[in-house]
Amino acid sequence: MSSLEVLAGAASDKSRAPGSAGMRLVCGGASFSYEEARAPIPALCDVTFELRPGGSLALMGASGSGKSTLLQVIRGLDAPESGAVLLDGAGPADVGYADLQREVGLVFQAPELQLFASTARDDVAFGPRRLGWPEAQVTSVVDAALDVVGLPSARFAERHPYALSGGEQRRLALAGVLAMRPRLLLLDEPFVSLDPGTRRQLVGILERLKAAGVTLLLATHDVDLAWALCDELLVLGEGRVVVAGPWDFSTAGGHLLAANRLREPFLVELWRRLGRDPQRAPRSAAEAAEALS
Amino acid sequence: MPLFDISGLHYRYAGAQADALADLDLEVNEGEFVAVVGANGSGKSTLARLLGGLEKPTAARRALACGHDLLVEDGRMAARRDVGVLFQNPENQLVAQCVEDDVAFGLENLAWPAADIGHRVDEMLARFGLEELRRREPHMLSGGQKQRTALAGVIAVPRRVLVLDEPTAMLDPAARDEVLIAVREMRGEGLAIVYVTQEMDETVGADRVVALERGTEAYAGAASGLFADTALVRRLGLGLPAAGELALALAEQGRDLPGLPLTMDELLDALGGAT
Repeated sequence: MSSLEVLAGAASDKSRAPGSAGMRLVCGGASFSYEEARAPIPALCDVTFELRPGGSLALMGASGSGKSTLLQVIRGLDAPESGAVLLDGAGPADVGYADLQREVGLVFQAPELQLFASTARDDVAFGPRRLGWPEAQVTSVVDAALDVVGLPSARFAERHPYALSGGEQRRLALAGVLAMRPRLLLLDEPFVSLDPGTRRQLVGILERLKAAGVTLLLATHDVDLAWALCDELLVLGEGRVVVAGPWDFSTAGGHLLAANRLREPFLVELWRRLGRDPQRAPRSAAEAAEALS
Repeated sequence: MPLFDISGLHYRYAGAQADALADLDLEVNEGEFVAVVGANGSGKSTLARLLGGLEKPTAARRALACGHDLLVEDGRMAARRDVGVLFQNPENQLVAQCVEDDVAFGLENLAWPAADIGHRVDEMLARFGLEELRRREPHMLSGGQKQRTALAGVIAVPRRVLVLDEPTAMLDPAARDEVLIAVREMRGEGLAIVYVTQEMDETVGADRVVALERGTEAYAGAASGLFADTALVRRLGLGLPAAGELALALAEQGRDLPGLPLTMDELLDALGGAT
């Protein structure tokens, strides 16, 4: 069994209902403010959207538009002041909600915030051990998670997390989340500080997790990677939803992107400038090359 | 005299089995823009800290920053005044109670008159779109806002050379363009800039690209020369700008473009003229 199959075992996990690989997420009217001495700072205002099981959504918007806050509210680290986050239709008052929350994995923007053990192995093993998994299963999942993110156990398992480079720490944080075999994966700027080779690997990992049915919510400023990976787009502006749904590269859609400090993906701009339909632009260089050959 | 004159530089972290940087040479002159690229863990951030006088080299034949000897304590202290360093993680750089105090911090340490500090801080807040956040506590900022605040604080202090470690990593596309314009302007004013990045398209306008591989120099020269050596690019864990990646994919399909396009305009020209 490949490392990814070990991690994508959610779909074949007998303890889970058939077809439950990906989680359905509904965010209904969620609002949230940060407390500050002078006055509360509103961060999210009436955020409403839906993400189907196995769907992939790019969460975009200018710096400070509320992307990280939204991910933290979905993960249950902050409770919305109004509105609700429903996981597979269940809300916070429903039985089993805490279990569902455990199936939501969040990789923080600053990876060092989620690294705390004295070795890479113990860091990744922390979650599975807390769930009481047998040690043999913990070892197999930890090895698989480290392998999938390109930090093979033989070289990295005994390293101190703080002795790793910034990009390696980011990959270790992802390994810790993947080891919990999440059904909804929330990623906060996962490509920042990764070298291009590792980005390609991560894109491959996320594509395979998507294919295994994991629901994906990806906060990123990288419009090219968002276009490569995500079927739909959610843009926040000052905490409010300004775009939700399929990518729209009409004139009006382009204006909305620019107004929110975003731009069209490279391949979409290329298609437009070649006189082709930007709405049908390819998602990868390989697809583009095939169309242009 | 070069602003950085480095030869045979070594650095090894305490307890490590191998050098993080080994036998590295680097010369950077006034007004030069040198991009530093490399895989995660190749030594880029370590080099940035050494150039700023924040760490002591383990050994070097010569290690001068703005004429200060980085091998001795006094030299490193002097280098810290002349070399502005932006850290990869802005969390490590924000020290004050609010955004404007943070931007003013370096100037206060240099004992600038209060009125001059006020003018300079206003200028920096405007340049990086931070006016409305001036009283905001740093921990209440988003990642991108923190990065812009840290950059404003570094640039506020007049210097001869800047070392920027992934300054656009957390920025939205518009803010990224604003930072790149600011960098171009500073370069036009004669500042030397060492620019660490994982964004390959940001290296295209550099005077020189230095690629690190496990702490050693694997390439130094024009960006076009690096990207033309695809096998080296892949070995180093790097990539090409989007236009170049598409040209490679086309070549795999049997359609060779004239030259290697590295920008959208070059790609469109090449596609128009390709047979």
